[in-house]
Amino acid sequence: MIDFVNKPVARLILVGLPALALQTTFFAEVKIFGVVLQIMLALSIAAGLAGGSENGALAGFVFGLMFDLVLTSPLGLSALVYGAAGWGAGYLHSRALENPKWLNALVVGLMSGLATFVLPIVANWIGVEGWLSSRLTKVMIVVALSNALFSFLVVPIARWSLAIRRSQRLAPPAEVFL
Amino acid sequence: MPVYSVSRRRAIALLALTSILLITLDIQGNSVVRGLRGVFSTIFEPVQSSARVMTRPLENSWRGITNYGELEAENQRLQDQLDQQEGAFIAALATARDAQELLALNGIDNLADISSVTAQVIGGTPSNYSQTIEINQGSDRGLRVGMPVVNAAGLVGRITWVDNDRSLVLLANDSLYAIPVQVVNQPNIVPATTTTTTTSTTTTTSTTTTTSSTTTTLPVVPPVSAVVDPNGITTTTQSMTTTTVDLSTVDFGALAPTTTGVIVTIAPGTTAGGPTTTLNLDDLPIAETGIFRGRGIDNAPVVEFIDQNSRFGEVQVGALVFTSGGSQSLAPRGIVVGRVIKIVERTGTSGAVLEVRLTAKLTSLNFVRVLLYQPVATGAP
Repeated sequence: MIDFVNKPVARLILVGLPALALQTTFFAEVKIFGVVLQIMLALSIAAGLAGGSENGALAGFVFGLMFDLVLTSPLGLSALVYGAAGWGAGYLHSRALENPKWLNALVVGLMSGLATFVLPIVANWIGVEGWLSSRLTKVMIVVALSNALFSFLVVPIARWSLAIRRSQRLAPPAEVFL
Repeated sequence: MPVYSVSRRRAIALLALTSILLITLDIQGNSVVRGLRGVFSTIFEPVQSSARVMTRPLENSWRGITNYGELEAENQRLQDQLDQQEGAFIAALATARDAQELLALNGIDNLADISSVTAQVIGGTPSNYSQTIEINQGSDRGLRVGMPVVNAAGLVGRITWVDNDRSLVLLANDSLYAIPVQVVNQPNIVPATTTTTTTSTTTTTSTTTTTSSTTTTLPVVPPVSAVVDPNGITTTTQSMTTTTVDLSTVDFGALAPTTTGVIVTIAPGTTAGGPTTTLNLDDLPIAETGIFRGRGIDNAPVVEFIDQNSRFGEVQVGALVFTSGGSQSLAPRGIVVGRVIKIVERTGTSGAVLEVRLTAKLTSLNFVRVLLYQPVATGAP
């Protein structure tokens, strides 16, 4: 049992379920300027920062898929975009030898805004209309700023989810040696 | 720290391909994907319920802080609207009863015959794009996917996913929502001051909580002729046959919305036997059909594929939009959807697009009613 819990995928699900519950209850009601904050997206990007591009893609896929399962939008849409966001965050992280908290917040904010913009575009490609609108700019800004603030909380959670030890965290990311 | 034994790029490509495969399967309506959602829902439901209980006080505090002023202003505005609508309600009763009699004579289903389940809204949409709400009734109460959801104002949406004791409602402004509708131009209303030989109705509404009283004189529909054949064929004549609605026989207690402290008094009409409403078939509203489609939270829903029939003429701004029903429609005939607020003409054969303002306010739903209706094509209700 302990071995199972120590596996990253199991931990991602363990973290993802309560995060999704928060997303569908608390964050669905508490809106900032009418915008729903996106904790699942923040977690996906944080996983990329904590564990590199591969882990970011995996975490984004898992969190996005869980989110898709409770939405009416096509299954796999959030998984694809969140996975890409996690991968992108890991890739950006690999360019820096140090990752101070302010840099994490900046990356989480930037990637959140980008993912929020890309999601309706991908949806439009697959035939889901009505998501691209003038409101998108406001949604991008609010989600980016809120997720930047969330980063101080979600990056440590993502580290635990991916079972990253302190020694691994302090070492340069694997991408540096590619 | 490798998670997979396969190479990193392959793993990432595999995740992307899996996502694309899932999207493809879901768009095609694959039953495995539907099953997956059902299984996940069963696992997730207890976690979500616990989270709902734990976060409710925080949500309430947040609403109290951010919405207090807004709620106060809204309450005042709603009180004014309520006062105005008392008068309009009386007029609507006569029309509704008239319509129900005609529908019954022609053997057409009407909304009053359809059972419904009242449900409370327990959750909003967790996404910034899809428009859904969660309600606290499910398959245990007979709810099925596709059933229409309404509130006192009109159409709200349809059931898109059902569990034993809760359901997900796709709101009418979601871009995935579409339903056949009928567009009806408003009849020409003659101002109440116009005197006719057959009708004169005065309604007095007074509220016990205030010292003032309001007198509303209802608009009068022009005088008119109609003959309804009991065999189901309606014919138009120029004769003086009239359809008469006597308000004295209407059970207001059964039809009126629940209000406290309001007294509604109907003054007798000047014509012997009570007030009389008559309809002129020449002035009956124009009706056209089309497809209503949501376009997301920012854009007004539209009615497309309007059947431009020269016999019916042009749709006007302010026209009413109702569900048209039919053997395959997911909603019965006659649910109020909204009003036309803009007409966008298009070149070619595509016809005009009508922008619609929904009568139901989808941003502040508390209780809704699910009509236990399924189209004939999918089985009996």
